[in-house]
Amino acid sequence: MRITYAARMARLDLSLLWRNRTGLFSAVGMPLLFGALLLPARGEVRDGVESGLFAGTGYLAFFLIFAVFTNLVAVLTTRREDLSLKRLRAGALGDTEILGGSVLLAGGLYLAQIGLLVLFMSTVLGGRLPANPLLLVVGLLFGIAVFALLAAGVSGITPNADMAQLTSMPILMVCLVGSGVMVPLDGLPEWVRTVAELLPLSPLVEIVRTAYFGLDFTVAGAHAPVGFLAAWAACGEAFAIFGLWALAGWWASRRWFRWEPRHG
Amino acid sequence: METTAAVRVTGLRQRYGDFEAVAGISFEVRRGELFALLGTNGAGKTTTLETLEGFRPAGDGTVRVFGHDPYRERREVRPRMGIMLQEGGFFGDLTVAETVRHWSGFVPGARTADETLGLVGLRDKADVRIRQLSGGQKRRLDLGVALLGRPEVLFLDEPTTGMDPEARHAIWAVVRDLVADGTTVLLTTHYLEEAERLADRLAIMNYGRIAVAGTVAEVIAGQGDSISFRVPPEVTVAELPAFGGTAAGVEIDGGHPTAVYAVPRHGLQAALGELLGWAERRRLRLDGLQARSASLEDVFLRTVEGDPR
Ligand SMILES: Nc1ncnc2c1ncn2[C@@H]1O[C@H](COP(=O)(O)OP(=O)(O)O)[C@@H](O)[C@H]1O
Ligand SMILES: [Mg+2]
Repeated sequence: MRITYAARMARLDLSLLWRNRTGLFSAVGMPLLFGALLLPARGEVRDGVESGLFAGTGYLAFFLIFAVFTNLVAVLTTRREDLSLKRLRAGALGDTEILGGSVLLAGGLYLAQIGLLVLFMSTVLGGRLPANPLLLVVGLLFGIAVFALLAAGVSGITPNADMAQLTSMPILMVCLVGSGVMVPLDGLPEWVRTVAELLPLSPLVEIVRTAYFGLDFTVAGAHAPVGFLAAWAACGEAFAIFGLWALAGWWASRRWFRWEPRHG
Repeated sequence: METTAAVRVTGLRQRYGDFEAVAGISFEVRRGELFALLGTNGAGKTTTLETLEGFRPAGDGTVRVFGHDPYRERREVRPRMGIMLQEGGFFGDLTVAETVRHWSGFVPGARTADETLGLVGLRDKADVRIRQLSGGQKRRLDLGVALLGRPEVLFLDEPTTGMDPEARHAIWAVVRDLVADGTTVLLTTHYLEEAERLADRLAIMNYGRIAVAGTVAEVIAGQGDSISFRVPPEVTVAELPAFGGTAAGVEIDGGHPTAVYAVPRHGLQAALGELLGWAERRRLRLDGLQARSASLEDVFLRTVEGDPR
C-alpha cells in the first residue's frame, strides 16, 4: 500500500462525507448527543469511579461501532451496489489503497471524536486526562483494524444499502450489551463474564478504561492502580483477544467481501 | 524487449456457474491499432474485456497485456491501461471537475483536469454535479477519466451507447486522434457503423465465440454480392433464369415479388451482363434494379442469426 494514494482516497471520502448531510450528522452529532447524556450522571459512583466517567470511557470504545463498523458496512455496501467500488478499482489504485483510504478516514474521524470526548470528560465532567495515552492510542488503532475487517466481511453478506443497518445490528447490540459499555458486568455469573470478555469490543473497553483511569479494569471487583508497564501487562489478554478477532475479521473479509454486485 | 502485440488472448474461456459466457476465443491486438469486438448483448464482450483489464483471472486459456498477466500482475500493467467500463459508478454528488481532480490524484503523471475536460468537450460542464449529467455526458467523463494517465492501451466498453449522433461523432474524433498518436484501442460495440469507421480490425462475437475476424474488407469478402429487381409482370417466377451460376430467390417486398440473386465473389460484373442481356432480349423493364456488395451488416446479421450453442 502506498500511503499517499490511500490518503488521497481518504480525501475523496471526506469530500463525499461533506456532501452527505446524514453521514456528517452521525459523525459529528452522535458524539455531542452521547456527551450530553453523560451530564446527569455527574456525582454518582459506579465501579469505583465517577459514573459519568465510567460511562464516558465506555462511549470512547463504543463510538468505534458507529464511526468505523456500521459506517464502513454502509459505505462499502452502497459503493459496491452503485458500482463505484468497481470504478475505483478500474484506475491505478491498488485494492488495499482503495479500502485503506476509507478506513483511514473512518478511523481518523473516530480518533477526532475520541479527542473531543476526552476533552469534554476532562473539563465539563471534571475528570482527568488519560493516565496512559500510548496504551489508549494503540488500543484504539487495534480496535479500528479489527472492526474495519469485520465491516468488510459483513458488507459482503449485506445485499444492499438498505439492509446495512439490519446486518450490522447483531454485532452492534451484542457489543453494547455485553462489553460492559454502560454497566459493569461484575454482578453476572462467571461463565457469562467469560463469554462477554470474548466479544470483539470487550478488549477495547478494558484497554480504554485501564488507560484512562490508570486502574486495572481488566479484572472484576476492585481495580488496583497500575503504572505504565503494569497497565500494558494487564491488557495483554485483551490484546490477544483482539488478535483473534483480527484473524476472524481477516478470514470473514477474505471469504465474503465482494467488489461487485451479484449478477441478476 | 516486448513483442509487438499489445493484447494477446489465447483460448480464453470464462464461466459464471454452469454458464459459459466466453467459450474459447483467441485474438490479438497489435500495438497502435484499433480492434473492435462486435456483438449483440450477452455475446461475452464485457466478460472478455474485464478479463483483459485484470478484474478476474482467465477461467481457461491465457490473456496477456504487454506480455503480462493482467490479473496477477495488475500493479505492473494497470498504470499503462485506460479503462472505460460499460457502466459509470461515479459519485453523483461530486461535480465533473471535482471528479477529474480526485481521480487524477490516483494516477501518477496525470493530465490536468482542464486538459482532460477539453479533450472530451466537458469544459462548460465543469461545475455540474454528476447526477445532473445526461447519459452521453457521463460517458464522455468516463472517457476523460480513462485518459488521465495517458494510457498506452485503452479499453472502451460500449463507449457511445446512449449518445446522440453528434456526441458520438465527437467521441469518434477523440478516439481517432488517440490512435493516430499511437494509442492501442480495444473497444466493444454493437453499432456496426462504429466498428466500420474506427476499426483497423474487428471480430464478431456471438454466444461466447468469435464467428469471424479480420479487417472490415476481409470480413466482408467471401460473403458475395447481391443483385435484386422486381419481377416484371410479363415474367412468371418460374421463368427467372440463373445468372452467374445462381438461381433466383424470390422475396415479397412492398407487395411486389422481388428476385434476389446471391452472386459469388468476383461474379458481380458477369452476372449483371447476363441479366441485362436477358432483359434486352425479352424487352423487359427491370424496376428497382440493385446490385450491391455485401456490407458488414449482412455479415453481422448472418452471424448473429446463427444457432446458439
Ligand atoms: N457476473 C455474472 N454472473 C452471471 N452471469 C453473467 C455475469 N456477467 C455476465 N453474465 C452473463 O454472461 C453473458 C455474457 O455477458 P457479457 O460479457 O456482459 O456480454 P456482452 O458484454 O457482450 O453483452 C450474458 O449472458 C450475461 O448474462
Ligand atoms: Mg457488455
